[in-house]
Amino acid sequence: MIHFDNVTKVYPSQNRPALQHVNVAVEKGEFVFLVGPSGSGKSTFLRLVLKEERPSQGHVHVAGKDLSRLNNWKVPHLRRRIGCVFQDFRLLPNKNVFENVAFALEVIGKPRRFIGKVVPEVIDLVGLEGKAHRMPDELSGGEQQRVAIARAFVNRPMILLADEPTGNIDPATSIGIMKVLDRINRTGTTVVMATHDAAIVDAFRKRVVELEDGRVVRDQSRGVYGQAY
Amino acid sequence: MRVQFVLQEIWIGLRRNLTMSISLVITVAIAMALFGTGLLINKQVSNSTNYWYDKIEVSIFMCTKTSSNTSCNKADATQEQKNTIKSDLEKLPQVSAVEYESKDAAFARFKDQFSSTPGMVQSTKAGDIPDSFRVRLKNPEEYKSVSSAMLGRPGVDQVVNEQEILKKFFRILNGLQWAALLIAGIQVIAAVLIVGNTIRLSAFNRRRETGIMRLVGSSNMYIQLPFILEGAIAGLVGGILAAFLLVLSKIFLIDRLQGSLQFASQLSWSSVVGIIIFSVCVGVLLCALASFLTLRRYLKI
Repeated sequence: MIHFDNVTKVYPSQNRPALQHVNVAVEKGEFVFLVGPSGSGKSTFLRLVLKEERPSQGHVHVAGKDLSRLNNWKVPHLRRRIGCVFQDFRLLPNKNVFENVAFALEVIGKPRRFIGKVVPEVIDLVGLEGKAHRMPDELSGGEQQRVAIARAFVNRPMILLADEPTGNIDPATSIGIMKVLDRINRTGTTVVMATHDAAIVDAFRKRVVELEDGRVVRDQSRGVYGQAY
Repeated sequence: MRVQFVLQEIWIGLRRNLTMSISLVITVAIAMALFGTGLLINKQVSNSTNYWYDKIEVSIFMCTKTSSNTSCNKADATQEQKNTIKSDLEKLPQVSAVEYESKDAAFARFKDQFSSTPGMVQSTKAGDIPDSFRVRLKNPEEYKSVSSAMLGRPGVDQVVNEQEILKKFFRILNGLQWAALLIAGIQVIAAVLIVGNTIRLSAFNRRRETGIMRLVGSSNMYIQLPFILEGAIAGLVGGILAAFLLVLSKIFLIDRLQGSLQFASQLSWSSVVGIIIFSVCVGVLLCALASFLTLRRYLKI
């Protein structure tokens, strides 16, 4: 599903590469934790999958397509098949839960009837039954992140990328968020989650890819956050 | 769905930076009104030029007691001199028609022309206005040979070519036209910059929305269209205001000029409407283009 083939990324303003000779293959339906300290290249990895950045060297394949050969005008279609969740939720403060989730479908031109059917289903899936008409500032951090996950998942993407989704949330609530991500993973969606939340990684025992200074230093199925811990 | 969504986004954009939108509309209105006025004057000048070239006359003024020309010797031209001039004029090959205007007829016409300034009429007596021959030429360009043949002959005071007078007048109109177009050009530059700024602000205000749109795979057109239409709508509103200003300038500038300067041909409303449509289209396209170019810089896809 995601193949990094000897990928190196150097940002123009920096001498040190953000990623160096990274080879990673994530298969369909996998759940992968991307761990490592800040600045180790986790976010760069996710941005390369979205084609927000181009690799300086090497190739990134997503869903069997080489992104360096993907025309710019086709990038939106790639992104429709990838859902994204961030640490800071990125909800629209002037729209309620339903409207926030529906926004993702409106802006890709889905018909109103389809939106009316699909959005409540996803709101239920992430565990926000009965809260469709709340505004974001009336929700807790965990609930806001659930809205963000619903928005990322509403178009049934093949891949869900999560960049420190539990970073702003207390540990107890994080477990709930992880259960939602796990439920999404069980529908067959590939999930890649960047995190430095050791407790969660250790509790879930999924595949762990560890980055350090832009290099893959560990790739372990059913791993823990770090051997030293 | 699509249409409603786009319209909603445009409305949000225009409302969020209302003051900027208003200044944009005003600038566009002024720029387009000046642009249109320039075109109106241009049209009027070319219409009038054609009209006047058909009617151009050379006037040969005869001596009077009051004329300052020394060859007149402070005396009226005699009937004999007038007859000679008339027959000689008719013999010239360049001349198509000769008409004599007596002192009484000239005075009557003078009174009529200056009826709005009675002081001028009162201080003038019948006989002060010289009698003249009005000569219509076959080709207006040949006036020089006629004037050189007539100047200095006994009884002739001066030869006036109306073309020269008209040329001066058209020069003034041309100046007006260029001034209007120059100011319009400066205003257009200002309008383009303001469009750019407005759209940049608008894109900045909605960076959350556009960021999410980008992430969930909205097409570029879908992201940019509300902004481009926002610029185009401001251009359209400005253009409609400019249309009102143009109608006013037709009534108060062109028609008044026509009254006081005796323009021969009236500028028709249909050509005014044509110019209005043209300037509105220019305004809308200009604003849309300026928005588009701004977005390319400030809205990363």
